[in-house]
Amino acid sequence: MAQVHRRRQLVAMGGAILTTTLLSACLQNPNASDGGGAAGLNGYVDNTQKDGDKVVTILGAFGGDEKKAFEASLAEFEKSSGIDIQYTDDNNFTTIVKTRVTAGDAPDIALFPQPGGLIELAEAGKIQPIDSVLDYDTLATTLVPGFLESTRYKGRSYGAPMRMAVKSIVWYPKPAWTEAGGKTEFTSLQDLAKNTDAIKGKGTAPWCMGWGSDAATGWVGTDWIEEMVLRVSGPDVYDQWVSHKIPFNDPQILKAFAEFGKLAKGDGNVFGGAANIINTKFGDAMTPAFQDPPKCYLMRQGNFATGFLPKDVQADLDNKVGIFVFPPLDGGYGGQPILGGGDLAAQFNGNDPDTIEVMKFLTSDKFGGPWAKVGGWLSPHKTFDATNYPNELTKQMAEIVSSADVFRFDASDLMPKEVGSGTFWTEMVKWMNGASDEETATAIENSWPKS
Amino acid sequence: MSTATDTVVAPQRRDPDDINRANVPKIVIGLFGLILTAWALGNLFLAFGYYPQWFLDNKILIAALALIGGVGGAALLFWFLNMFIEGLPNRLSQGIMPYAFLLPGFGLIALMLIYPTIQTINYSFANANSTEYVGLANYKDIFGSKDFWNAILNNLLWLALVPAITVAIGIIVAVLADKLSAQGEKVSKSIIFLPMAISFVGASAIWNLVYAYSDKSQSQVGLLNAIVTKLGMDPKTWLQISDGKLNSLLMMVILIWLQVGFSMILLSSAIKGVPDDTLEAARIDGASELQIFFKVIIPQIRGTIVTVFITVVILVMKVFDIVYVLTNGRDNSDVIANLFFNEMFANSQAGRASAIVVVLLIAVLPILWYQVKTFREEQMNR
Repeated sequence: MAQVHRRRQLVAMGGAILTTTLLSACLQNPNASDGGGAAGLNGYVDNTQKDGDKVVTILGAFGGDEKKAFEASLAEFEKSSGIDIQYTDDNNFTTIVKTRVTAGDAPDIALFPQPGGLIELAEAGKIQPIDSVLDYDTLATTLVPGFLESTRYKGRSYGAPMRMAVKSIVWYPKPAWTEAGGKTEFTSLQDLAKNTDAIKGKGTAPWCMGWGSDAATGWVGTDWIEEMVLRVSGPDVYDQWVSHKIPFNDPQILKAFAEFGKLAKGDGNVFGGAANIINTKFGDAMTPAFQDPPKCYLMRQGNFATGFLPKDVQADLDNKVGIFVFPPLDGGYGGQPILGGGDLAAQFNGNDPDTIEVMKFLTSDKFGGPWAKVGGWLSPHKTFDATNYPNELTKQMAEIVSSADVFRFDASDLMPKEVGSGTFWTEMVKWMNGASDEETATAIENSWPKS
Repeated sequence: MSTATDTVVAPQRRDPDDINRANVPKIVIGLFGLILTAWALGNLFLAFGYYPQWFLDNKILIAALALIGGVGGAALLFWFLNMFIEGLPNRLSQGIMPYAFLLPGFGLIALMLIYPTIQTINYSFANANSTEYVGLANYKDIFGSKDFWNAILNNLLWLALVPAITVAIGIIVAVLADKLSAQGEKVSKSIIFLPMAISFVGASAIWNLVYAYSDKSQSQVGLLNAIVTKLGMDPKTWLQISDGKLNSLLMMVILIWLQVGFSMILLSSAIKGVPDDTLEAARIDGASELQIFFKVIIPQIRGTIVTVFITVVILVMKVFDIVYVLTNGRDNSDVIANLFFNEMFANSQAGRASAIVVVLLIAVLPILWYQVKTFREEQMNR
């Protein structure tokens, strides 16, 4: 009996020690947030970083050479303002930023490559609306129209761009294209088609296309459809299409498919036909254009395409390659739309004067000179000093951008993943292989997640 | 006499009593030490994360301390655990001791294997974010989808062909290499074994070049199309041709190419282990070489054949990399593992993805069970 009693005492004692240690003395996270601070129309959002300490932390997705150029662009500002900007890159940015913000460990500023993640955190009340810290009206006049709208949630914008990418560019091999009788400026797609038909008549396919991208094969096709939707029906329908307010197989979208079909499926219009389009890597698409004689001439692709051109062409870009904007459609949307992307800066520390300073600089047209000189960077501001760009080609791109009437983000990046990086890709490949417009659009519509 | 027996018997009587009694100080020190070590270790690792400045913000110092703390702490934990259990009454202590030392290992298996399995089964009944139960909706979805059945069909095809061909080629090569000179055997085996060292993704990239397509006006990069065009035919888009499941068959070639080395090595050693006297006896009885092969050698290496076959079967059930890299399931070439990957990571449909995995799990179970059974039987026969 006594023994049992003692054993019980022992167990009780052990249990008591265990619970008290576990409950009392574990370290607590010194940076833990005290719950979600709501960022309504009044007040500000705050993170746990110290305010006014002349240190601003930025989280972004790009690293390597881009990171170096970004830091170089900030160097002068850091010197004059005395603010130390610490940039961290993470190639898993989309997930990391969400985790860090919800865990109360938000950076002062984050650079979002797509508006989706930004809007999500704005909804959660974690981001400072830009109109409360930046000069919204100036931004609205200097920026390419469409950027501030992309970060809008309940009437307020939550991010401003610091870099842009443009996809609506048509590339051509300079000497060969003019020799073949190609024009370098077009008023409309019909105008362009007339020119390409004439070249086709001489026996060479006018268009180069490559959709191959291993597991992501098909994304180039989605860009084409997006371009066509913008040109056939304009940005409003485009927005409704992206947010699924109209179905994917809406007649207006089918019209875009038909318009693209005329270009891509027209007999002899694209080099090699469907088999070649799907089996050519997007980076190699334009290689046949630099052969002698050229097998094709035109490629519509984003500004990053320079990095994929043949080495000898890259060495002498201005003399070997020319570009023009992918023209609008006669009888469609009136203006010149531009499809592209951009890095959007969002502020998580609303009451830190240093962070506000950095935000102001990042989103102004003064930012980016050194980066522009390195190349591969375009300012989202129409008023950016174009002499900073390293070559005629980039200046021309800037020109295309600043004369655009409306800018839209790549739709497939904004659609749900099942569609945007799933069925939209795969069904476009089937479309190229012969599926009809209706079959393709309906298959994608059916895959749209129901919620 | 009586005193003598007393002195002999008495300690015996006292002894079991003494051992059976709990050694309280040992228990207390052991338990207290356990808790203290766990608490200190926990705080040490939390401090690494929360207060890096205590460690001079030096990552190398933190890593070194983590190593010392982790290994030393684990040793200390075991030492206190041992002391605690030794302090318990003898019968109890002897019963508990093996379990106490198995516990961390078993705990890890449970944490890494059993818990995820159960959670996956659980999530297969939940929605895309695993926030709400949806009953059998996921299973209805996947069983009702054409893509799923197409993937199942492809998997069955892979299963029917790849293991059998791998084993067959493995045996042929092993037997033929056995007849070569020692040097020739070494070289030929090494060459066939070489692909084993290549990762699936690497192999897929290599074979992607074999199957590559360029327009007929261009020079052919793809080996197969280079041959075809030399013969005067048009180049073909090999991996897009789903007639007769050609694209799936072409991808199976890659897996066979990768696995024949493994099959050959195991079977070769099994063939070498066949006792010479049985072959001799068969020869004296007038058996032909073919008869010797099928009636004497094969029955004696049956166990190895089954092992190789089942290993390849399980590998084929999980085949993913090759399909993902080469076609990502386009043109009716999808398999279950790739379908799962796309549901999970491309579409963020955790529920449907889990349901697919559960189906795969159920399909693998009988094979696993058969393998364990044959393995046991073989062990008993030895």
